[in-house]
Amino acid sequence: METVIRFENIVKEYNMGKISVQALRGVTAEIQKGEFVAIMGPSGSGKSTLMHILGCLDTATTGSYWLEDQEISKMKKSKLSAIRNHKIGFVFQTFNLLPHLNIRRNVELPLMYSGMSAAKRKVLAEKVLADVGLADRLKHKPSELSGGQRQRVAIARALVNTPTILLADEPTGNLDTNSGNDILSIFSDLNRKGHTIIIVTHDSAVSERADRSIKIIDGLIVE
Amino acid sequence: MAISLKESIQVGLSDFWSRKIRSLVTVLGIVLGTMSVIVVLAMVNGINQQTLSWMMERGGLAKITVHRNWEYDGDGNERDYFTLKELFHIRELLPEAQFFNPETNDWGRITYKDKFYRNRVQGVVPDYQYIEEWTADRGRFISEFDIDQNNDVIVIGSTIKNELFANNDPIGEFVTFNNRRLKVIGVMKHRYLKNNFNVGNDNSLDYLNRRSFVPISTMVNKITGKDVINSLTLKAKSPEAAPDLADKLENILLNIRHGENIFNIESAQEEAQEIERNAQTFRMVFFLISIISLLVAGIVIINIMLATIQERTREIGIRLAVGARRFDLFIQFLVQTILVTFIGGVIGVATGFSILNIVSRYLEFQLIAYPGMVIAAIAVSVGVGFLSGIIPAIKAANLNPVTALRYE
Repeated sequence: METVIRFENIVKEYNMGKISVQALRGVTAEIQKGEFVAIMGPSGSGKSTLMHILGCLDTATTGSYWLEDQEISKMKKSKLSAIRNHKIGFVFQTFNLLPHLNIRRNVELPLMYSGMSAAKRKVLAEKVLADVGLADRLKHKPSELSGGQRQRVAIARALVNTPTILLADEPTGNLDTNSGNDILSIFSDLNRKGHTIIIVTHDSAVSERADRSIKIIDGLIVE
Repeated sequence: MAISLKESIQVGLSDFWSRKIRSLVTVLGIVLGTMSVIVVLAMVNGINQQTLSWMMERGGLAKITVHRNWEYDGDGNERDYFTLKELFHIRELLPEAQFFNPETNDWGRITYKDKFYRNRVQGVVPDYQYIEEWTADRGRFISEFDIDQNNDVIVIGSTIKNELFANNDPIGEFVTFNNRRLKVIGVMKHRYLKNNFNVGNDNSLDYLNRRSFVPISTMVNKITGKDVINSLTLKAKSPEAAPDLADKLENILLNIRHGENIFNIESAQEEAQEIERNAQTFRMVFFLISIISLLVAGIVIINIMLATIQERTREIGIRLAVGARRFDLFIQFLVQTILVTFIGGVIGVATGFSILNIVSRYLEFQLIAYPGMVIAAIAVSVGVGFLSGIIPAIKAANLNPVTALRYE
């Protein structure tokens, strides 16, 4: 098996005035290509911090992090945007779509920042939206869609740049059970097609779908 | 690869339209600023042009005028007028003066049959018509022969002709001025100043149409009976030669009056330069005021853009998460600010020109706007956008993606 993610002794310290708080106190793990991993833990455990570091939105205070063959922890912050753009697809609890853009343009956003021409972007965005069952909603604004549909738009946006990993932060947290199950099924399907998926959650129904769970409590991996 | 400029402009435009009211409030300062610059500068140019064209109509920039110096405060022993003999002497000393016209006036009634008109009659020499570039368009003007012979002739202004003769031919008729019978030999061409600023009043040159002219010798020897000549006008060969001629004339006059500063010499060329200097000063002052008002507009823009970025923190977080570089965000917000001020500049210029268009219908006076003013106004607007866009754009670019995504 090919290792996609490897991190060793990741420590994240936040300075809050005179005191500093350690959100992660030295965590180490590996994730293989094609795995479906749940990162579990109660709120405040450090699981979101870990996701931010894995997603290159934030950097570790100490420790090393490799994404494929690149050592992210040694990269300049200015390089991280390109990594986020090409290798990572995010799905958030609150969808995080841009309200004034229609959903096709929302999905095009990562492609715009990768410099793709408008014509190509359109074709690609429409294809990915069709894959998540929204081919007939292209011109709709996010506010005109249900929560489940919005999350599908977010998944389409995360997939459109064919990322190495798909990172989802409580993707069902704002959905009713049925819509939540739909979304989880999409993740399972994507995983079967070979996508590496990491879901951060505190919901055991979600983690049951995963190949394995990484449990974090108080900034440390417990199992 | 970064987001292209075209893309930034598209994003900026769609933001502009999706927040119309805020965008308009943002640009209001720029709109008013550029609008007032256009309107005021066009008016200043117009007034300036008006003054200069008046001067051109009154003999051009080579003209030099001598009058009594009203600020002269001597012991009163020196004469404050010329005699004919003195003037012939001065004329001989100034061969470089192309034209030379001594002038003396008398007020009174010009009577024809039962009608009369009360106004000034000027005693002049034939050079008058060359200095003023104005002559009779019916009959003839005063000749050297009239001067030599002290002829009892008069050339009347068009208003007097209309008042006294209506539609009849005045040439060859006799009028009486201060008990002297004078034969009408000509009617002066009607004077009218184009682009007149005096709204609703007479044309600025109309007073000339009420004047009449007699030979200066007739005036001195037969009408007033006094060898008293109050003023003198000269014309240099060119406007450039005028200041030197004026200097030389001043020396001569000081000489014949024993160093007393009794006469005041005005050169049209120097006056025109003075007018231009004043206009420059005015433009400078107005320029400074514009800079201050645009500075205020810029501060307003900074404020609104900072508020906009605050409000769009989460959007910035999302853009960062999907791969926007800090530079992309910097450019996006900078372009957006510049776009807003550019649109404001265009609206300002357009409203400025509409105002000029409307105003010029009611003013009998030309408002002069140059293409350069448009380019400058829009360039300055864009400059204000650039300067006031930098701080908000840096703020947007420096947001932390994690905190930006959590922003509620």
